[in-house]
Amino acid sequence: MSETVMNTNVVDFNERAKRILAQEPILSARHVEVTFSLRGKKLTAIRRTSLDLYEGETLAIVGESGSGKSVFTKCFVGMLDKNGSITNGSIMYEGEDLAKYTEKDWLKIRGKKIAMVTQDPMTSLNPLKTIGYQIRECVELHQGLKGREAKEEVYRILKAVGIPEPERRYKQYPHEFSGGMRQRVVIAIAVACRPQILICDEPTTALDVTIQAQILDLIRRLQKEQNMTIIYITHDLGVVANVADRVAVMYGGQIIEIGMANEVFFNPQHPYTWALLSALPQLGVKGEKLPAIDGTPPSLFNKIEGDAFAPRNKHALNIDFLEEPPTYEVTGTHTVKSWLHDPRAPKVEPPQAIKRLSEMDLTSKGTDPDAYHPHLDPNRETLIEVKNLQVTFGTGRRKFVAVDDVNFEIYKGETFALVGESGSGKTTIGRAIVRINPVTKGEVLFKGERISGKISREMDTKVIRSIQMIFQDPMASLNERAKVDYIVSEGLINYHLYKDDHDRQDKVRKALQEVGLLAEFSSRFPHEFSGGQRQRIGIARSLIMEPEFIVADEPISALDVSIRAQVLNLLNDLKKSRGLTYLFIAHDLSVVRFISDRIAVIHKGRIVELAEAEELFAHPLHPYTKALLSAVPNPNPYVERSKKLVVYDPSIHHYEKEKPQWVEILPDHFVYGNTPEIDGYRKELGQ
Amino acid sequence: MHTQETKKTVQEAEAPVVNKTVDYGKVDTNPDRERPMGRAYLKSRSQMPEEQLFAFAEYNAQEAEKIGYSNYSYWKSVWANFLKNKLAVILGIAFFLMFIFTFIASAIGKYDIYMAPDPMNRMYISPNKEFWFGTNAIGQDYWAQVWYATRASILLAVLVSLGQIALGVIIGLVWGYVRKLDRFFTELYNLIDNVPTIIYMTLIALMVGKTMLTMGIAMIAFGWLATARNVRNLVFMYRDREYNLASRCLGTKLGRILSRNIFPYLVSVIILRLALAIPMTIAYEVTLTYLGLMDIMVPSLGNLLSAASAVFPRAAYTLWFPAAIVSFISITFYLVGNAFSDACDPRNHV
Repeated sequence: MSETVMNTNVVDFNERAKRILAQEPILSARHVEVTFSLRGKKLTAIRRTSLDLYEGETLAIVGESGSGKSVFTKCFVGMLDKNGSITNGSIMYEGEDLAKYTEKDWLKIRGKKIAMVTQDPMTSLNPLKTIGYQIRECVELHQGLKGREAKEEVYRILKAVGIPEPERRYKQYPHEFSGGMRQRVVIAIAVACRPQILICDEPTTALDVTIQAQILDLIRRLQKEQNMTIIYITHDLGVVANVADRVAVMYGGQIIEIGMANEVFFNPQHPYTWALLSALPQLGVKGEKLPAIDGTPPSLFNKIEGDAFAPRNKHALNIDFLEEPPTYEVTGTHTVKSWLHDPRAPKVEPPQAIKRLSEMDLTSKGTDPDAYHPHLDPNRETLIEVKNLQVTFGTGRRKFVAVDDVNFEIYKGETFALVGESGSGKTTIGRAIVRINPVTKGEVLFKGERISGKISREMDTKVIRSIQMIFQDPMASLNERAKVDYIVSEGLINYHLYKDDHDRQDKVRKALQEVGLLAEFSSRFPHEFSGGQRQRIGIARSLIMEPEFIVADEPISALDVSIRAQVLNLLNDLKKSRGLTYLFIAHDLSVVRFISDRIAVIHKGRIVELAEAEELFAHPLHPYTKALLSAVPNPNPYVERSKKLVVYDPSIHHYEKEKPQWVEILPDHFVYGNTPEIDGYRKELGQ
Repeated sequence: MHTQETKKTVQEAEAPVVNKTVDYGKVDTNPDRERPMGRAYLKSRSQMPEEQLFAFAEYNAQEAEKIGYSNYSYWKSVWANFLKNKLAVILGIAFFLMFIFTFIASAIGKYDIYMAPDPMNRMYISPNKEFWFGTNAIGQDYWAQVWYATRASILLAVLVSLGQIALGVIIGLVWGYVRKLDRFFTELYNLIDNVPTIIYMTLIALMVGKTMLTMGIAMIAFGWLATARNVRNLVFMYRDREYNLASRCLGTKLGRILSRNIFPYLVSVIILRLALAIPMTIAYEVTLTYLGLMDIMVPSLGNLLSAASAVFPRAAYTLWFPAAIVSFISITFYLVGNAFSDACDPRNHV
């Protein structure tokens, strides 16, 4: 059976707060200002911000891209890019000012006392050297060990970070390790010298949720063993809730709020923190709009006057546009930079969603009375039908089956979600439907007509106009060398769907307005826009074809938290106003629960379970679904820290004796398993 | 929290300020100025009573949607960076002036290129006041000959290079983008590339003719290989990007994907290759003429050099003048091409 790992990291925040208040900081940054010179312009990435770090604590710094969270911590290890420098302030560590360090001075500190783990484990390892060599190099250099001793130490470290068979792994190269294993190696190298402070820059962003939980656990264990201070840099509030004692929120190059995790999550004071938390899909009510933050983060090229968040702040005061707010103390450990906290300011109640967060146990969630239940609707209309779909890549011995024997139907007007980890084949299915990936076996039907394989020219045109796709990475999915006008009207031009040029421009303008962009943006190039705006340009490009069905391939996973809500709301609005049907591909179950009507869980190219969203959350049957559900990050620190992690072990299936089948166990609840398994599932359901 | 009441306070709070803006005398009238975030008319704290300072400001969704990103233009940056390389700019201008000069030179000169009124007495006269560059073996004015040859060689080089690059880019785009044709073009490339080009050239010269036109076409026909392979490899980088998938989903035809989605990314490389192809073609033309594979009736730099080398070291000046021009063209294009390629690298746009 699958094993259950109990998370034993429930903390008493009050006790930690007392400990912190009694201590002297080990590192103290004061009024740090960092400027970069870029294309002849000055960019102030960090605007005079201060931070104290205490021994043994875990501090999480959250913020959107461009908020300066990475740059700020890079100052602590002297790893700023060449064109950037600390132009003001001090960073005191062990009686010395790190802000004045030269490259030579840094050699004493970097890696030995303050170490860093970065996001992408592939780029931080040398692909030409064995793992053992790379860790050993570090051990020899920093601990002065030689020969056998060094080798033994490497084995010990590999074991400590949870890599089995260290003797065999020692001789392997990075490409022979999986993403999670590679990140363990990077962590192993970072902690090999027993640093006092470890900075983890988005250590789990590139990893799947189930792996993510294991890596976080590992870091926590190492921290306890070596009494390290850890700084996490992340945009994922679930990770923050899981690991942080203290949380710092950054915006526009400043820490705008800092406090113990329970203070920041349950009693946030800054309107930006409010907005950030309430934009979480986990806190959203299905069928209602998510409270999104409009607009985009400020450009740091411009001088920022007053509160950087003011233009996007619905509670902004006049003074927010004029003067930078001072830092107000809420409690001994909790400070906030917002004029709203001034005694003269009017009282503003934090939004509802914040209250929901403190009450929340995400297991029971109000059901939407308007929710669409396809299996209860006798008039449901099948839009897409996927039958025994198989997609393979490569030929001969290098043949790889990406997707095998996949069956599902998508009904008109629903949002059908496909959830799985990276490499599970979810994107392949989406691309097979829009006919980018050729189908090896089986077929795809659209309104009862086959659209896979060879089809007639009229059918081809019809399919292209009715089925569109939204892509994952808004940076890669727009042609950088074409104006927005051309990008949006590309489909129109291909099929000449306009009377004259005036009519075409009119359609572009309407499409841009429909996705909440200004019509005058059409004369600009994509690089002038932020990620969320670019994603909306991509949506406008699909909408202009007036499709009935849209394949949305992880449309929000590359976006910042504050932007995600904008795009989710837009997709929901369009679904209502245009009667669209979506295939929503995602890896994040919390997002999927908010947006979709039915969810299919896919593992290694096979769909293992398919049910209505709430039904799946209420009665998950397949062990893999259970594992995925248990790993869903929760923004409530207490819930997140006490969650039980279920690890899925595929060897529990005994399919060699009895072949598994795709069984409808309840109306519209399908699961993949053989007879004994199905009987077990039935028992679970009390049948 | 946008209730009716807060809206009212907003209006009350802002109305007097708006009226007073006239008095400040500093109202910004230039709409294009980059403003800091916030309201233009709110200049400083002193202009507002304290109770208004802490009133809610009006929320403006348009303000929030404002583009917060820099107005960076790729080609503007390329141009600005190129202009920083003074030597390349000066050489580029000098080359341009020299090319124009090849048209006026014959008007300035005293003799026509073919005129040789007294060939026997004018053979190999060293440069003097009468014959600025001296005379050649049959007593023709070398000044006129050199400039005419320069013009002819440059024109030939430019046309041949354009032809080679155009053919190479088109083949390279299709080769790189259409997977089914990859095998065909790879084999074709290997077939042509494995035989030294000089053998093809010899065969064509001997069988078809040695005129400048035939040899020019032959140079194009065998000169696209390197460009095509380079372009093909570059197309691989862009082929599988999501924006191309998006275009396919929108039903964009192959030709349009190549011209609008891929080609614009290659422009910098293409210009660089063109810049380097021009001196190469001149050098190639010199080689061909030297090997006797090209017509010697029309003066070209290749003709002059091969004639001069035959009598060297006698009348060494007949070698120095065309050699200097060939060197100048090669160095200029090499430096300008490199400066341009540096300017095209976005990493240098700092």
